[in-house]
Amino acid sequence: MLWIALRPCAPPDASPSAHEPPPPSPEQQALAWWALGFSPRVCVLEEAVLLEAGASLRLFGGQRALLQRLRDELAPAGGTGLAVAPTALAALALLRTLPPADAGATTSAVIPAVSCPARRLTAMLDALPLAQLSATQAHAPVLARLGCRTLGHLRALPRGGVSRRFSAALLEALDRAYGQRPEVYEWIELPEQFSARLEFNGRIEVAEGMLFGARRLLQQLAGWLLARQRGVLAITLHWEHDLVRRGELHNGHLDVRTAEATRDITHLARLLSEHLARLTLPAPVLAIRLDATETEALQTTSASLLPEELRQGEPLPQLIERLSVRLGADRVLRGQLLADHRPQHMQAWRPAGEGAVNSKPPALPQHLQLHPPWILRIPLRLAMQGERPLYQGPLLMLAGPERLESGWWSLLSSAEAEGEELAQRDYFVARSPQAGLLWVYRRRSAGEPAWFLQGMYG
Amino acid sequence: MSAALRLVLPAHSPDELAGVWRADQLQQVPQAVLSSGHAELDAELPGGGWPLGQLTEVLQLQSGQHEWRLLLPALKCAVAQGPLVLIGAPLLPHLPALAAAGIPAAQLLRIDARTPAERLWATEQVLRCRDLGALLAWLPQARPEQLRRLQLASTTTQALVFAFRPEAARHESSPAPLRLTLRTAPDEQGLSVELLKRRGPVIDRPLTIAAPLPVMAALRKRRPLKDPGHAVDRPATLRPARRQPVSA
Repeated sequence: MLWIALRPCAPPDASPSAHEPPPPSPEQQALAWWALGFSPRVCVLEEAVLLEAGASLRLFGGQRALLQRLRDELAPAGGTGLAVAPTALAALALLRTLPPADAGATTSAVIPAVSCPARRLTAMLDALPLAQLSATQAHAPVLARLGCRTLGHLRALPRGGVSRRFSAALLEALDRAYGQRPEVYEWIELPEQFSARLEFNGRIEVAEGMLFGARRLLQQLAGWLLARQRGVLAITLHWEHDLVRRGELHNGHLDVRTAEATRDITHLARLLSEHLARLTLPAPVLAIRLDATETEALQTTSASLLPEELRQGEPLPQLIERLSVRLGADRVLRGQLLADHRPQHMQAWRPAGEGAVNSKPPALPQHLQLHPPWILRIPLRLAMQGERPLYQGPLLMLAGPERLESGWWSLLSSAEAEGEELAQRDYFVARSPQAGLLWVYRRRSAGEPAWFLQGMYG
Repeated sequence: MSAALRLVLPAHSPDELAGVWRADQLQQVPQAVLSSGHAELDAELPGGGWPLGQLTEVLQLQSGQHEWRLLLPALKCAVAQGPLVLIGAPLLPHLPALAAAGIPAAQLLRIDARTPAERLWATEQVLRCRDLGALLAWLPQARPEQLRRLQLASTTTQALVFAFRPEAARHESSPAPLRLTLRTAPDEQGLSVELLKRRGPVIDRPLTIAAPLPVMAALRKRRPLKDPGHAVDRPATLRPARRQPVSA
């Protein structure tokens, strides 16, 4: 058995009189969810969070590696202290010997930790003062007048007398701490749906200010996702204004979606910050709540035996999402080939964030490689010099015409749209003295004939 | 005396040191390159091709001219590794023609960033992507310090990175290890490439590269276009036009 006691950053006031354990505080809950990433056996005991990691040692590479990792990751998860012992009560008692975390301490400070190996458990507990165990703390004044100041003194008293004079519960707690009786706890279970709320100490005036709190909630989400083996597809950030009670305002919310299920909190935080940066709050915010609205089971890759090349950087879908959020989804585009004969309808551009279109690309006729690589979205009408079209100088026709007559159906639907016409065109390859090879066409349909620039051989 | 000197001097000649090359030689330090597909150009580029993970600056008189002719052979290889990203392209890429030339439409990403700040931001973000194959960015108003940022960001990738800028910028200092100007060759057929800066000796004559597009071969051979297109009301042939202006 390896019990690890973790101290949350703001320990709630221990209420020794309460017989029913109070519901875990939000800090405890966050820490417990995080601890679930290391062991399925996590419980909340008084002011601390305890996890039994005996079965997880091999997975994390041994006790030393696990403890090192816990110490490294504890501060961002909201913990301020760590104690290791063979029994839960001993770990808790040890945790109480740690110096209290000062409120102004930065998160980067070294986490205080204390550890007790199994063979030294009795000696170590014997030396602890009575106040370290909740069960003995209640009787500490009486015991002190008897001359008992440490747990060792108490244990040296005759058991029958102690049981009669104080209570059987005291002996029971003592035995549990020394590992002479089994310990029974109620393990923490994760809720089916993730929803976490955070109240700010002050009023948040700007939208970006919510990001700090949202990051803490995202960390809880990370723990939840890790323990549930899931990835998140959509999250919703709700915020509460203080004027809502008067009915003047509605609480706001923000939906963030990702293209593929992710557990990457930094990516979610970046997406949130991009969204929040464009938001103006109508009133100060008092609290936020983060819901995971859509999750799915996430297949994670197992670690490789061979050292492989670590690829730095972010994957393409994440990049597309971030660009789409900042610039707008309609400006990060991926092309799709369409089967059409009119050059400007041979392709369609869709937001890349919508994912790849799975339709089969149309077969490309051979002559398409003679088309120019650049094309004008709206053909440019060319000025004329007599009967010769001009584009940075008079054009010299090199080849053509290639006659095109297509698109009658567009007349039926959206004839008014720009450039939509019955395409009756003769295409030529032309050379301009300045602009090089051009792809131009002559309009043959109704009205006066006119020349247009369609593409450039760039 | 000379024996004593030999004792004092290190045994290595400068040629054997990594990262040191003589000014009259091309840099032979192994660096990741991708062949440009033009033999004349490869012979003059350090390492024998376009550098990967380095910013290459292409200066043009007019944007939209000759980019594809110069880069298509290399881009064809690069899109096998990852997507080709265009930022602030002056014109719309014609996907069917590019697909026929070997760049699949699904591998092309167009970012329509308009302001200079947006373009720089998007370029830097794209350079952080680990899947990137090639990046073409049109940055007409970038300042040297901004280009330095991009050059630093480029070194984290293994992609082709090209920045297109106006030729007026040739006298500005630039952190790009490779700079070149791109023009039409005097014979109006090929490309004229002047290497303004490279890791190697100064080269003062412009290189002429054929870099033909398929349409040029067709023009030269004057062979008929085989087009079975059913929307064409008569067989389309690519025949020589009259030298006279074509009457409407």
